[in-house]
Amino acid sequence: MLLGIDVGGTHTDAVLVGDEGVLKSFKTRTDRGNLLGSVTTALAEVTSGFDVKKITNINLSTTLSTNAIVEQKLEKTGLFISSGPGINPENFIMGDCAFVVPGSIDHRGTETLKIDMKMVQNGLSECKANGVRVYAAVSKFSTRNKDHEEQMASAAAGQSDFITQGYRLSSQLSFPRRVATAYYNSAVWRIYNSFTDAVMKAVSQSGISAPVNILKADGGTMPVQVSRDIPVESILSGPAASIMGIIALCDIDHDSVILDIGGTTTDIAVFASGAPLIEREGIKLGGSPTLVRSLQNRSIGIGGDSVLAVTEGNVTAGPERKGPCMADGGDVPALIDALNFLGTSDFGDTARSNDGIRQLAASAKMKPELLAQQALEYAVATIRRAIDSMLEEINSKPVYTIHEMLEGKKIVPEKIYIIGGPARAVAKAMTGMSEITVPEYFEVANAIGAALARTTFETELFSDTGRGVMTMPNLGIEERVDRRYSIEDAKHDALEHTRRFMEKTGYDTSAGPELVEVSAFRILNDYSSSGCDIRVKCQVKPGLIKNLHAKAKGGAK
Amino acid sequence: MIKAEKSLGLVFFPAFDWAISPTHPEREERLLYTQDQLREEGIFDIEGITEFKPDIATEEDVMRLHFCFPDVASVTTGSHLISAGGALRAARAVMDGEVKSAFALVRPPGHHAMKCVHGNRGFCNINNEAVMIEYIREKYGKRKIAIVDTDCHHGDGTQDIYWHDPDVLFISLHQDGRTLYPGSGHLRELGGPNARGKTINIPLPPNTSEEGFIYTIDSMVLPILEHFKPEVIINSAGQDNHYTDPITNMNFTAHGYALLNEKLNPHIAVLEGGYSVQGALPYVNLGIVLAMAGIDYSHVKEPDYDINYNPQDDDITAYIKKLREPVLANYFSPAPDTDRPATGQYYTRHKNIYYDTDGIQESQREHVMMCNDCRGVIMIESSSSVNPPGAGIEIPVFGCKRCRDEGYRLLKEARASNNFVTVQFTDRVNRVYERYGA
Repeated sequence: MLLGIDVGGTHTDAVLVGDEGVLKSFKTRTDRGNLLGSVTTALAEVTSGFDVKKITNINLSTTLSTNAIVEQKLEKTGLFISSGPGINPENFIMGDCAFVVPGSIDHRGTETLKIDMKMVQNGLSECKANGVRVYAAVSKFSTRNKDHEEQMASAAAGQSDFITQGYRLSSQLSFPRRVATAYYNSAVWRIYNSFTDAVMKAVSQSGISAPVNILKADGGTMPVQVSRDIPVESILSGPAASIMGIIALCDIDHDSVILDIGGTTTDIAVFASGAPLIEREGIKLGGSPTLVRSLQNRSIGIGGDSVLAVTEGNVTAGPERKGPCMADGGDVPALIDALNFLGTSDFGDTARSNDGIRQLAASAKMKPELLAQQALEYAVATIRRAIDSMLEEINSKPVYTIHEMLEGKKIVPEKIYIIGGPARAVAKAMTGMSEITVPEYFEVANAIGAALARTTFETELFSDTGRGVMTMPNLGIEERVDRRYSIEDAKHDALEHTRRFMEKTGYDTSAGPELVEVSAFRILNDYSSSGCDIRVKCQVKPGLIKNLHAKAKGGAK
Repeated sequence: MIKAEKSLGLVFFPAFDWAISPTHPEREERLLYTQDQLREEGIFDIEGITEFKPDIATEEDVMRLHFCFPDVASVTTGSHLISAGGALRAARAVMDGEVKSAFALVRPPGHHAMKCVHGNRGFCNINNEAVMIEYIREKYGKRKIAIVDTDCHHGDGTQDIYWHDPDVLFISLHQDGRTLYPGSGHLRELGGPNARGKTINIPLPPNTSEEGFIYTIDSMVLPILEHFKPEVIINSAGQDNHYTDPITNMNFTAHGYALLNEKLNPHIAVLEGGYSVQGALPYVNLGIVLAMAGIDYSHVKEPDYDINYNPQDDDITAYIKKLREPVLANYFSPAPDTDRPATGQYYTRHKNIYYDTDGIQESQREHVMMCNDCRGVIMIESSSSVNPPGAGIEIPVFGCKRCRDEGYRLLKEARASNNFVTVQFTDRVNRVYERYGA
């Protein structure tokens, strides 16, 4: 049996999945002041009546780190950055304990200016005096040469409980993102680890001995022990869990669009030939772009609780939400109330919905039927526009080779999958645009996705045979190579090192890493060859431990 | 988070799968480290900076200004059409108001491509800026355009295309042609009889430094631009004046390029040459991007700046100061062309053009109508070591009635004669782009 728990901002969902499909599901409101309580309640409820010894895997998605960052409940973090030429590094400072230190590494990883360790020491003394216990060290191009980050980290070792080094987070370039990601990682490290301690205790007390994995924003998971050093990777995993849930429930093999219609927002995701698209750079949080890999997902302000308004005869819905809809005890009519009035949904207290719609219609001097119908049409049109603009953006994404430019494939969705409260009602209104599917169990798709998601991993090998170096930054690997080091060697090393690292750290290696991008450039200094620049990206892509396709058939078509 | 003070569009197309030949400076990784630097700086995350995917230029976009022999498809590949298309996308972004200015970081370059094209010369096949300018004129009705070419090599292709056009001001700053390819761009080259003073060449001595370039911009380029009052300013942004460039002898810097760009304030910049792939391009491109976006670029400095950059010698400063007077005179009071025939007659020039990259020799006779009402109908007879004789006839943009009628007469005559294997006919007034022949 597989257990999945998704502690979201509003609801906590849990499912237990067996060979026969979903065995049990549980839904409750999240206690934002006590997330641990939400986890333990869900754990106890969803497993009651089952033999917990048969649970082989637990996946957990929580908003703990996300909340800490969004609500700025962050631990004071000593941030040390060395940057070299470029944009003024003062722009990237985060928190009130940051130090910019002279020192420079160039795009090939060559040190062009030694790091000023005296300034590092001064900064560290100041941090010590202020009781700072967690640190982040980031230098520009540290993914090509980690020396400066290593020097800063070893200087801080004596006075810290935890240090994040930028190069361990991602192989990807972007100094500002690296700074933000490292800073957040250290700033949530303690709260995340004490929460995880408590969760692990609760799991073992309930008699479960299965491995525990933590959901990430890319629709995959990481082993809990790995997550303890990279807690930032646990942010914004909720939407990805929902997307993975739909993959588990529906056999998607075409270009398609996924809509998750919630209370306040609708999340839109796009699939290319059945596979979810991954954000090229990383997800944004608290206004800062990060290096945290995520599935592409766009959120718009249309949901079941989107407030209805009539301005000069035009009916609109959202983006505001003024509490729950009237059917759920709210004071002002919302989209769900319009759907209830039209009879396409049957949620909560429909009599209150009908009253609310009639009152609003009377004050706007409209027929209530027309008002409700227009509200639905407005919502559908808004969603439709957002889908179009997201597709336009994806299809006009820049590419860097002539081959891709001329042979580039465009995404043209053939199907739309809809989940969430108003799914069936909206699906009816959208018919005629594409084939629409509302899967069964859509209410707990997020928890199903959480339960069935597999581990994911991504790394890049970078080799500059001119400098005689091969690195795989987030694996911490740096090796000497000679001029004969070839693209084949690099491919082999990338896969082999990744596999070994995953085995060592408790990842599920059944899917195995695959190569994503391979490039090699001969580098000439003036007119003479100075080696080869080889880059190999590999990943274990998002996927499922198993799917439920045979068990759950598409609903309203 | 950083915000761009002026919104900027970037069309970044490094063509990682295209090279002229394996050891040619115009090779795959030319923009590799520029891409690394821009990504590491987080340029594409800056609010107000938007990256656009290039358009692909069409045959019509090319035929609007070039005479291609034997035809467009024979002298272009996907790479050229995408590179020119990158410039088109940049122009569209600015003209449609998506952004205030735009920078097309595209390759291959274009400024050595002349009006007639038989192949590749100076790493260029089609002229990216000219394709863009004629697109802007046709789609957006703009007339007066200024191009400031800051590539180290004389922009002889762009000069050739606009030699007879009084509405396009072409200013080229370059290393003196007596010391560098293509050998042209002397003070005495100042435009055809219908467009005297609208081609301005500023040949700078080898080892010109930040000081000399900025002086040239301040005391020569800006006063001329101010007087010309162009509707659109374009920078042919070659980066080979850099002190680390392997194929030139100048002494310019990333900071200098950024400052130059800030002063010039172009609507659109299009990358031209620049072959110091590691030491210059990442920093120069970064500097230009920041300057165009109105972001502080004072921290952009080459790692070896303090070791390898030398301030300018006094004799070079003195030499450049002496250029000011004749350069300004070329624009403000150009000497009349003593060879100019009477209005209504043809002015003819003979040209022999060598295509260094492809080793082609071209021979041309170019006839221009002396006209007071438009820039004059043009006919070029061209043959080369790879193509039999062909003709190009162009009724110019904003062409007058007389030149329009004359263009059609020339077409009839050329087609009736047995002199030309191919004839390309361009009527910019009625937007007719045709090709006749084998």
